[in-house]
Amino acid sequence: MSSRRSRVSEEEINELISKLQSLLPEARRRGGGRASAAKLLKETCNYIRSLNREVDDLSGRLSALMATVDNNSAEAEIIRSLLRS
Amino acid sequence: MQVRNSFKLALLKQMLLGFQLSAVSSNSMSVPERKNAIKLSADAAMVFARGSTRWTRGLVAGLSENSNNEDLLRGILGKKYERLSLPCRSSWKIPRSRKILKRCLGLCSRRKKATATQHDVKSGSTLARRLVKKRIQVLKKLLPGGESMAGFSLLDQTLDYAVSLKAQVDIMRRLLKISKASNLNK
Repeated sequence: MSSRRSRVSEEEINELISKLQSLLPEARRRGGGRASAAKLLKETCNYIRSLNREVDDLSGRLSALMATVDNNSAEAEIIRSLLRS
Repeated sequence: MQVRNSFKLALLKQMLLGFQLSAVSSNSMSVPERKNAIKLSADAAMVFARGSTRWTRGLVAGLSENSNNEDLLRGILGKKYERLSLPCRSSWKIPRSRKILKRCLGLCSRRKKATATQHDVKSGSTLARRLVKKRIQVLKKLLPGGESMAGFSLLDQTLDYAVSLKAQVDIMRRLLKISKASNLNK
């Protein structure tokens, strides 16, 4: 992969910032209005931390149950649930 | 923002493969061992589903530091493993974009350099900029491979990573739900 130089437009940046905002859980509650850069970064960091914690927690809980699961039927059921949602 | 279903399916498939490869369902593992195997499977599966990008390479590099993880990583990533282990040539956006980025984030002071006044107080925007700098450092530590990123790339990769993590959590929640249900049927 060669190093790329590319211009990033103001539009792209604004789009990125608004995508980040809409991803964060609190932003959805507040509904509109532009948060400060500091706030955006803080909430982003908190969000990533909470997702990582949740993965860790889910791993722990799954470890207690995985011994009894049939992988094939579990996979089929999850696929069905994904297609429904 | 969400990933496609194809991403989630690939994640699920590779994660279950990881469980099989590490024999999660056998009784020979201790609970902490099983938890680690599950977590590693979930992370490797997420990398597989996402493909090559800076944070996935960063994550693989981090996971590879523990030599015990190599077999499972290779098992789940297959051919992708070699590609993902290559060192990253940094792609940099022209510095001009950093100024635009700062302006969009409301960080530029448009005032010219002020001459010394009676008030020797740091302006609000200077404090804001310092705070932002601090938080960017935190973000760099949270994002796999983040230390070598800056500006637009850092934020772009952060968004990408967060969206992928969300999908990982979603699949694991569904798996947990189904595991519980099937447990009740036994």
